[in-house]
Amino acid sequence: MSLIRLDNVYKIYGQGQENQVNALDGVTLEIEQGEFVAIIGTSGSGKSTMMNILGCLDVPTAGEYFLDGTPISGRGRRELELIRSRKIAFIFQGYNLIPSLNVWQNVALPMLYQKIPLAQRKARAMEALERVEIAAKADYRPGQLSGGQQQRVAIARAIAARSPILMADEPTGALDSKTGAQVLALMKEMNREGTTVILITHDNGIAAQAHRTVRVMDGKIVHDSLWDGLLVDLPVARAVAP
Amino acid sequence: MNALVMALDSIREKKGRSFLTMLGIIIGVAAVLVLVALVSGYNADITAYYEKLGVNKVGVTVTWYDSSRAVDVLDALYEYGNGELGDRVEGVSPDVSVALPLKYRTTTLESSTVYFGSDQYAACSNYTLESGRDIKSFDVEQRNMVCVLGSYVADSLFQYADPIGETVYIAGNPFTVVGTYYQKDGGTEDSMDDMVVIPYSLDRSMLQTDYLTSFTVKVDTSDHMDSVMAGLEVLLAETIPSTVGEYALENGNSAMTESTEEMTSMSVVLGGIAGIALLVGGIGIMNIMLVTVTERTREIGIKKSIGAPRGEIVGQFLVEAAILSGMGGVIGILLGFGLSLVLGKAMYDLILLPNGLVTAGAFAFSVVIGIVFGIYPAVKASNLQPVDALRAD
Repeated sequence: MSLIRLDNVYKIYGQGQENQVNALDGVTLEIEQGEFVAIIGTSGSGKSTMMNILGCLDVPTAGEYFLDGTPISGRGRRELELIRSRKIAFIFQGYNLIPSLNVWQNVALPMLYQKIPLAQRKARAMEALERVEIAAKADYRPGQLSGGQQQRVAIARAIAARSPILMADEPTGALDSKTGAQVLALMKEMNREGTTVILITHDNGIAAQAHRTVRVMDGKIVHDSLWDGLLVDLPVARAVAP
Repeated sequence: MNALVMALDSIREKKGRSFLTMLGIIIGVAAVLVLVALVSGYNADITAYYEKLGVNKVGVTVTWYDSSRAVDVLDALYEYGNGELGDRVEGVSPDVSVALPLKYRTTTLESSTVYFGSDQYAACSNYTLESGRDIKSFDVEQRNMVCVLGSYVADSLFQYADPIGETVYIAGNPFTVVGTYYQKDGGTEDSMDDMVVIPYSLDRSMLQTDYLTSFTVKVDTSDHMDSVMAGLEVLLAETIPSTVGEYALENGNSAMTESTEEMTSMSVVLGGIAGIALLVGGIGIMNIMLVTVTERTREIGIKKSIGAPRGEIVGQFLVEAAILSGMGGVIGILLGFGLSLVLGKAMYDLILLPNGLVTAGAFAFSVVIGIVFGIYPAVKASNLQPVDALRAD
């Protein structure tokens, strides 16, 4: 059973109106546990919409999304909150740290929502900050750090949460190539330790770091290939009208 | 990390704005406390004034149609009050006064009040003898030219000398001072201490009037007012034939009750106005919380994306609104206490403090207002879709 399965998923804005946009236009996709998948596409291709749906930040207009074999569509808000809290960690291009909290508090925040006691939260946050080599700045505010450092804090937040899935939306987009490479290396390390990583990017070079590349265009998957010493094309399911 | 600390942080970060937001609550709470304190001060002041005047007094006023058949009402009242009603009545005296010049050697007081009293005048008007003796009934019978001085008159005419036995001139007539009263009203000019009492039987020579028409009957406790008035009613009906004159009885306590009741009902209106100020303050809090929600949309999105439950977001904004209004309430209470003390001292010379119950109520009300007006922004924040919230900048 796949960890993630999108089954003919549509995300339609302005349905029935003249300016109707099918941001996702019948996407079918399966991702197995432990994979490192890059979803690649130009801006407006629908890749961010796909991430929002995969990350339970948004719900599909039509089609089914199965996470761990259970359908996500029709879940209540509270259940989606719990799923996000237990299963999914995010890294964003804009880091998305909370400016009023210091570094370790930011890292510990998801664990607060997982109802982990304070002492353990702090210990795990510091451990994760050690991993990304930024523990020295634990008491700084995010605004006092460089972009690369902030992104490492965001990664530490994902590591500390111990979520099985990591969603990364253009994580290196605002970074220079060297710090970008560090960030990617950290993500690969998480992947080796068992985290399923889904990387959304427009950059072919970045996408090439992943085992599997899913190319999205105009809301559809146009290409899906696996790099395993040699390149293997995977079948792409056709869209079925909802 | 918890909601309380976060809320305090966010309030501290925006001190100026938080203070302006609280201002409505501060003014509302302070206004409520000060108004209630001032009303109680006014009531205390009025009560003290009437107590100085003497409480539990029945005023009797007689109007003669046919003065040739007029009878001596005072004798009847005096006899009745000291006889049949003696266990309830403390004194009976005419209530007649006139402003006349007083002179001792070279010192003159232009307009002190001269009272024409019986031997029970002091009991009726709440004066206490300080030295010498009071007017006696034989002074009244023999029309003795004697007087008892109020403290202001005694101090002004005699300074530190002993006035007893000295002669003062009242409108040119020589009177022997037989006693003085203790100060009871500040001892200043035009106060109740600027007075002198002489036997009422001198009214013909001093005032050229034949008949006294106003009297005071002093009752021992307010519980006996009604029974005494009923008794007087019967007595006066018998004494004064309806063809000769008419009489009226007045309960002296009702004036005090009326004026305190009036003030109390006014305080309800004033309290209502202050309540409106509190309400407006609450709306200010709602407004600022809505702005805060908009400003923090992104933060809300981040929190939601990492799994913050809805209750957490609601709680954060509610706690912040409650703290804002609660702090406003506390500052308002401090301000209210300060203003009450200052104004109480200035206006009534009393140490005025707001009522404890009103204080607790105003504080509770301000917190409730914060919560009530914080609910809408908080729910609005928690209902944001995480994607939409993250997209905001």
